[in-house]
Amino acid sequence: MESLKPEAVKAIKFGVFSPEQIKKLSVAKITVPDTYNEDGYPIDNGLLDQRLGVIEPGLVCKTCGGRAKECPGHFGHIELVRPVIHAEFSKIIYMLLRSTCQKCHRILLNDEQIDQFKIVLQKELNKEESSEETVNLENAIKGLKNIRKCPHCGAEQEKLTFSMPTYFYLGDKKLKPDEIRDMLSKISNEDLALLGIDYSTSRPEWLILDTLLVPPVNVRPSITLETGERSEDDLTHKLVDILRINQRLEQNINAGAPQIIIDDLWELLQYHVTTYFNNETSGIPPARHRSGRALKTLAQRLKGKEGRFRYNLSGKRVNFSARTVISADGFIDVDEVGVPEIIAQNLTVPFYVTEWNIDEAKKLLESKQPPMAVNVILPDGKRKRVLDTNREELIKGLAPGQIIERQLQNGDIVLFNRQPSLHRISIMAHRVKILPGKTFRLNDCAAAPYNADYDGDEMNLHVPQSLEAQAEAKHLLEVKDQVFSPRDGRAIITGEQDAIIGLYLLTKDTTYLTREEATHLLSLAHIRDLPPEKKKGMYYGKDVFSMLLPKGLEYEEKKGDKVFKISNGVLKEGTVTKSIFGEGSNLLVAIAKQFNNDVLKDFITNAARVGYAYATMAGVTIGIKEYLLDEKAENEKREILSKMYENVKKYVKEYKEGKLEPLLGTTPRQSLEQLIMAELDIVRSKADEIVRKYVKEESNFAMALANSGARGSTLNITWISLFMGQQASISGGRIYRGYSTKRVLPVLKPKRIGPRDHGFIDGNFLEGLKPEELIMHANGARASIIYKGLLTARSGYLYRRLSNAMQDYYVQYDLSVRDPHGNLIETVYGGDGVDPTKVRFVEKR
Amino acid sequence: MKNEQYKVHPGEPVGMIAAESIGEPGTQMILRIFHFAGLASTMTTTGLPRLIEILDARKEPTTPQMIIRLKESYAKSFEKALELASKITEVRLRDVAKRAVEDFQNKRVLIVLDKQALKAADMTPSQIAGLVEKKFGAKASVTKESNLILKPNVEKPSEIRNFSTRVMHSLLKGIEGAGKAIVSQDKNGEFYITSTGNNIEAIMKLESVDAQSIYTNDIFEVYRVFGVEAARNAILNELVRTLEEQGLTVDKRHLKIVADAMTAQGDVKSIGRHGIVGAKESVFSRAAFEETVKHLVNAAAFGEQDDMMDVAENILLGKLVPVGTGSVKLKVAGDAKQKKQKEKGE
Repeated sequence: MESLKPEAVKAIKFGVFSPEQIKKLSVAKITVPDTYNEDGYPIDNGLLDQRLGVIEPGLVCKTCGGRAKECPGHFGHIELVRPVIHAEFSKIIYMLLRSTCQKCHRILLNDEQIDQFKIVLQKELNKEESSEETVNLENAIKGLKNIRKCPHCGAEQEKLTFSMPTYFYLGDKKLKPDEIRDMLSKISNEDLALLGIDYSTSRPEWLILDTLLVPPVNVRPSITLETGERSEDDLTHKLVDILRINQRLEQNINAGAPQIIIDDLWELLQYHVTTYFNNETSGIPPARHRSGRALKTLAQRLKGKEGRFRYNLSGKRVNFSARTVISADGFIDVDEVGVPEIIAQNLTVPFYVTEWNIDEAKKLLESKQPPMAVNVILPDGKRKRVLDTNREELIKGLAPGQIIERQLQNGDIVLFNRQPSLHRISIMAHRVKILPGKTFRLNDCAAAPYNADYDGDEMNLHVPQSLEAQAEAKHLLEVKDQVFSPRDGRAIITGEQDAIIGLYLLTKDTTYLTREEATHLLSLAHIRDLPPEKKKGMYYGKDVFSMLLPKGLEYEEKKGDKVFKISNGVLKEGTVTKSIFGEGSNLLVAIAKQFNNDVLKDFITNAARVGYAYATMAGVTIGIKEYLLDEKAENEKREILSKMYENVKKYVKEYKEGKLEPLLGTTPRQSLEQLIMAELDIVRSKADEIVRKYVKEESNFAMALANSGARGSTLNITWISLFMGQQASISGGRIYRGYSTKRVLPVLKPKRIGPRDHGFIDGNFLEGLKPEELIMHANGARASIIYKGLLTARSGYLYRRLSNAMQDYYVQYDLSVRDPHGNLIETVYGGDGVDPTKVRFVEKR
Repeated sequence: MKNEQYKVHPGEPVGMIAAESIGEPGTQMILRIFHFAGLASTMTTTGLPRLIEILDARKEPTTPQMIIRLKESYAKSFEKALELASKITEVRLRDVAKRAVEDFQNKRVLIVLDKQALKAADMTPSQIAGLVEKKFGAKASVTKESNLILKPNVEKPSEIRNFSTRVMHSLLKGIEGAGKAIVSQDKNGEFYITSTGNNIEAIMKLESVDAQSIYTNDIFEVYRVFGVEAARNAILNELVRTLEEQGLTVDKRHLKIVADAMTAQGDVKSIGRHGIVGAKESVFSRAAFEETVKHLVNAAAFGEQDDMMDVAENILLGKLVPVGTGSVKLKVAGDAKQKKQKEKGE
């Protein structure tokens, strides 16, 4: 068994079993189309013959003597009285038949072509460049079916027709499987090689079956229901069918039944064998279970998303993992993960005992408090559970070479993951911090790469076991090294929402703190010093923030007339906003470039934590008062709305009178629509101005949130306090879909073009929407929900295709991109060999 | 080199990272499928549908588009641009005709012309008559109502029907496949032409066209006319354009590797079972993607071998993957020791 270890696999060769090989492989000839006898014992030579392996505990395999789980199972075979075609191969059989002479069975190529073929094939074998010629080769084989006269024996070729799934006709005559087998077996090995077939493992006559391989019972276990009733696997059912028909066919042949009856049964046998391999073969009805459910046969087991390949082989289940709900915790570092005690006590990490750490190992074994030893693995691979009863004995036997599995402890490296894992930063390495409670705790700054929130999201945790895996996690996957997204190099582990509003308020020009406030904030960042006093007994907010910055940092950013300047690690000018500390932050790029990722990580953690605290201190809150605008704003709103209605009315009038001058390249109606839309756009931007004019962030947290970029915008304030404005349809235009009387809703008048007829809402959330307004609003919302569903399915498939196409490409030491076969994709990665996560260090943006 | 520290690490699985970087924002694409380019009513497919179209390497885009710039000396002239547009715009008989009435008795076809459309296309009935006569060898005459009467030299009713449909579809003016051309003006006040079809070869030959700056969104057109390298650039440009339109930032290096992968074989291959994945050497790579049974059956019948070189089959067997840290083949000191001992033994 040792040689079958996965490491030993160098290549996998495909081929077809010959009848002889099947018989050699088989441990039992199956003849009885039944499973158990009345006593509930497997019938000898039946489909569950005990030589085929055991699955029930307690029984012993009659072939290898192994018990259940030890015995891998053994193959049996069925001898079919008449051969049948393996339907999955029928297309290849057709290709072979039409490519060879019907009389002499040579390939239908003349000698000259054969020589040409040989040269090309040899080239391909040596992996020489021959792309153009290979195409010719394939086409040549396809063209063989049109050759009417054999170039070797000169025989005229009759018309060969193939009809799915297993019917072949030569002229009008139907070809029986044994006739086909005769034809195939006469094709020479030399000719098969020309067709690209390795005859040593895949002789074509083996594609016609007279011996059928019966899989071991382990492959098709029977299930015992609670009632004591036995339920057999679909494959067993199918094999029973095959045996039954085989038996009947044999009886009829022996009894000398008329040919027509024999042919019918033969046909039926073919059907059962065909559906045994693939129950979705086109052209024939699927075999069904008694209940009417289609049977799941061999092909169905392998195919598709839930098939063996994608479900069990490409994706695997793992041990040493945990899953629970996540919640946010600003008091742990970004690169930590809070692990519940119960989980920490259940997960284990191997501790490799050596002569240098044997004392530590002893302590671990002695400990009755977590983290304690759970198992001891002896050098022979035996795993012993550490119990109070054998603890002393294990301590005595402790020796280098043993492995102790100990419980998770603070500081262990683990992998944290949230699905869907759309990019590599969906899995990152965190340091364990054991906490009370039953949820995983995550610093909110590290939520963005996972796309996580806390409305019930669950996440997975994996404990790398080998030292190699732990080292790899630590050096490649740690959170501190993932701050910049591989997609575009923009910072993705940043402050968000609460952190930003807090730092925004803290770093405003007008913010001063008392000594108590300043010490409280800085203590959260483990800073024991205070900045210099600004006024008497008061500390400047910007100075407090500066304490968090790495010493000696230089940074400057200009955006319009807004300047943000840090020199020598002190914030001289500007206020922290989303564009400074949020997603895509260039400040973080500067820190990473001037210092290192550890400094960067500490800055993000500390700044965000101080931000949360100051937001609390400042009492950030939103109430209805944020949205009650004064009379003047209300009047201005009415003014701009009525002006807009007037303008639109004017355009509509002009249009109806035919006076509207169409814009370049449009019809008058399209021009009218564009003019109206432009008018609606203007009214929205005017509303924005009103909001900015009357709502001041000093007295309004909604505005402070909007200005800092923490959450929301002036548009949200407009919606709540002024009016909703135009509701867009998915086409991007106004809403037109509705009744044939040219109106969107029955409450509207037909054929109107005005703003309110096609989705303009002049009501707001504060006063509430009118029914027709609500429907217009819901219109867009519903469409976007439906589209989102369609979009995720489509983009999911696109992603799958992309990853399957490109998963093998990697960078060589010369920075070229190749696949493992050595095929060149790019001579220098990306043209310049620059790592996308570091582009922002190089380029200015 | 100064920027050495910013280079990619050897072994980095850049293909997979590129796939993730394009796939991940897919869900964030704005839902709007069509997009109006400027004021003119030229709709183009955008967003995810367009992205899929590019990666599928479709032979023709759903909404073909060409952007044609005029030579510098003409660019400021609206008249010149209009003239060029009308030279390009395809006008078929059905575009300027209301209907065709077949008169089987007299073996002729009456074409009722659309006066307005005719005026817009700047053509006269007699011009059309001349064109039809030249093209089809049929006798054409203009009636009093300035309609057309065509007399084909065929007899059978089916042939007459055939003739009338062919005549209706025939190109009277413009460039084959160029679609409708519309004049627009850019920020610098220069006029340019957007057209809803594709035919670079013919357009390039037009006198007032700046042949170097013609842009088309049809990748295969670029491939046919200019070759693979140009097609690679066309794919890259279209990918960049599509993503930028959506306001998504994806590093160009990721897009480059996609474009390079699609064109590495010397022609344009799609991302999918008929293209790159279907052409993989490894049986398991293909079987684990799509059409599992088909690939296994063919492998068996031809006696193929999987050399365990790709990522997919190594995952199937639970082995280390041959990219990233798995691509590093370290020679352990122990090995060297054993070797030395062996040598000594000999």
